[in-house]
Amino acid sequence: MSTALDTTATPSPRPSAVSARQLAASTATRRARAARLKLWIGTVCTLLVVVPIALAQLLPLPGPNDQDLGKRRLAPFTEGHLFGTDQLGRDVLSRILHGGQVSLTIGVLAVVVSGVIGIVAGAAAGYFGGWVDSVVSRLLEAQMSLPLLMMLLLVVALFDPSVPVITSVIAVAQWPEVARLTRSLVLVEREKPYVAAARMLGLHRIQILVRHILPNIIRQATLVVLLLLAQAVLLESALSYLGAGPQRPFATWGRIISDGQDYITTSWWLVTLPGLVIVLLVVGVNLIGDGLRDRSRVRRTATEGN
Amino acid sequence: MTRFTPPILGRRTLLSVGAGLGAGLALSQLTACAGPTGAAGPGTISLGLNRSLVSLDNKLNQFEAAVTVQRAVRQALTSIDQNLRPQLVLADRFELDEASGSWTVRLRDDVHYSDDTPVTVEDVATALRYYGEVNGSFIVGLFPEMPTVEPVDDRTFRLHTQRPVAVLDYLMANIHITPAAANEPVELSSGVGSGPYVVTRANGGTGEYELARNDRYWGPAPSLRNVRVRFVPEESSRVVGLRSGEIDVIDSISPDSADQLDGMRGVRIQRSPGTRINQLFFNFRKPRGHPLADPAVREALTYAIDGRALIDNVLTGSAQQAEGVVPVALEGAARTGAFTYDPRQARQRLDALGVRDLAVKIIWETGEFAADTFIMEAVQEMLSDVGVRSTLQQFEPGGDILQWRQGRRGDWDVLGNGFGNPTGLALTSLQGMYAGTPEREETRDTYQGFVYPEVAGLISDATAEADRDARNLLLTDVQQRIWDLWPCLWAFVPDAVLAHRTRMTDPALKPINSYDLASVALEG
Repeated sequence: MSTALDTTATPSPRPSAVSARQLAASTATRRARAARLKLWIGTVCTLLVVVPIALAQLLPLPGPNDQDLGKRRLAPFTEGHLFGTDQLGRDVLSRILHGGQVSLTIGVLAVVVSGVIGIVAGAAAGYFGGWVDSVVSRLLEAQMSLPLLMMLLLVVALFDPSVPVITSVIAVAQWPEVARLTRSLVLVEREKPYVAAARMLGLHRIQILVRHILPNIIRQATLVVLLLLAQAVLLESALSYLGAGPQRPFATWGRIISDGQDYITTSWWLVTLPGLVIVLLVVGVNLIGDGLRDRSRVRRTATEGN
Repeated sequence: MTRFTPPILGRRTLLSVGAGLGAGLALSQLTACAGPTGAAGPGTISLGLNRSLVSLDNKLNQFEAAVTVQRAVRQALTSIDQNLRPQLVLADRFELDEASGSWTVRLRDDVHYSDDTPVTVEDVATALRYYGEVNGSFIVGLFPEMPTVEPVDDRTFRLHTQRPVAVLDYLMANIHITPAAANEPVELSSGVGSGPYVVTRANGGTGEYELARNDRYWGPAPSLRNVRVRFVPEESSRVVGLRSGEIDVIDSISPDSADQLDGMRGVRIQRSPGTRINQLFFNFRKPRGHPLADPAVREALTYAIDGRALIDNVLTGSAQQAEGVVPVALEGAARTGAFTYDPRQARQRLDALGVRDLAVKIIWETGEFAADTFIMEAVQEMLSDVGVRSTLQQFEPGGDILQWRQGRRGDWDVLGNGFGNPTGLALTSLQGMYAGTPEREETRDTYQGFVYPEVAGLISDATAEADRDARNLLLTDVQQRIWDLWPCLWAFVPDAVLAHRTRMTDPALKPINSYDLASVALEG
């Protein structure tokens, strides 16, 4: 007996009892949507800060150190000064943008250096184990037990506070977080069959680590590095605020706020506007990091489900 | 049908009530935190100092506000009054014997310390000896030489110096007297004094002190029962503390902060012409052949600085450009010249002198004077306008600027520095800044390497001159000579500014930027 398939019947829109509405309200979809939203908002906030900073030299703004003592502390939107002027009649917007170049340069360089140190040290500790793991783990535990800001201030006090010194100090301060995460990721990866297969094929240990394990963990590790960018910018601002930033006349965000705090009741924009810019950047970068992390989790869950 | 009736006092209700109560309790605590905290109680005032009062002794540590507190505990033979004249305190006689050049001093018969022991001649001799024994004392630098004590009787003694010091009655206002047995050649944080207050708690590390009224004070009893002294380095914090009532008096505030506080309910501002001079002082340790070793180059650079703009805008009129090498309000000061702003002339003069591509390094310590960083940044821009490159190096308090000043850590060209004057005499400032000798330079104890033996000789001659008119003539001559050497890129004399809560009476602010704590009372 043959059964003829009734092709004329109206096909069901979904081969499941789960309706599209229910699917849209599901946790997984909500997470994916939230991750997308975070990415969008984060990107917009970050670009709002980063693009003007990158184009600061091209914008029709006065120089960050151009003074006009007769135009001190002008309020925003006065005489062509969008963010007003500071105590020496300098354009606040120009100082924030040029200061952002210093702060962002230090932040980016610091996270790149700390990322490289952290990934190399963490991967070596996780893969080789033994004394390498002991040395790296004890080092990062020792460093994480020290109060971060105090350590930074001490090192900057010992050496002159210049851009290379501050960058190195922040980079060295941040490597433990990357190293710890990389180590744990490598510990999981090294027990997987593909690593055993590579070993059976006679590949050198470093070759296995570099060519097979690292590509599998680099994405998650770089996410942490991205999140550290916000922390690096905040650290640099804190150091400048405390007087341990690059020497004047470098306009850094922390110093602009520090210089303006005496005027908070009379010239609010000197502290508030640079503060808002820092908040915008830090929130933006953190949202991008969160969004990317959430998206990778959703994808991983989906892959594992299949 | 059975109906479920929730219990009257279910777990959910209990949790809600508990959470509400907890939130209420926490909120009441938070509300208490939000109000002014640590406000001084009745009969007590709180002082917020801009620099840490390391000790209640001035052997090493003397800045203007510190004098107010130190004098409340320890007193000197004399003090400097509102008109910058010496007044007798522990002594009732202080006379110069013009023939011998020595001074005869007699202690008051009723003066005694807070433990009821009398002030003795031995105490004075010990104090003078120990001031001379500490290294790096600001006070010793004001004396051409430290006098020695020759007792005459149990209350009277003579002060001898190798060369007569005609202004010893002014200078002795800075030597605080302590019982000889309790004195040491180091700074004293607590201990017994003859002043209207006694120390009840002292912490030199944090700069916090508590003083209580000395019930056995030999003079008129002070009105306030207690005085609290705190170190609040951040000016914005001091201003906020004063506004909230947590602090009653703040001093040495910047013009912008004074503007913020001016007219505010419950706060009064007091101003007085100052005796302190703030300078951008050239480094006089430059080798021969260096452009800055040439007075003509130094003079040319002064034309680059728009002092009027700095005074009017950055200092908002709360200071005057220096018209001499010391503040003109001082006894014996002379107007020797003025700083002129003419950038074109600056460049022309530098070109004529063959100085091109000059780069200078400016150093200073944060808080050395009000609006210091803004002045330095403005000066940097002004120098750049005449083609002189400059770098700024700012030191935080507690850093090693002293070693830099002495040329032991690195080279510099211009130093931002303030020089206070605790006596009201031009001679004191001249002695402290310009009487450097080659011998003192060997230990780097001169003022930024300023060593001109003829200038030091003239200052020494003026110090020994008992006749006031003759002394002032000598001083005018030496001040002109110093001015012609162009020691400063720019200099200004700030007003002494103090802000206080109106719950206390106006402290009689002296030009030396201190006041008599015993004369302060609470209103009402």
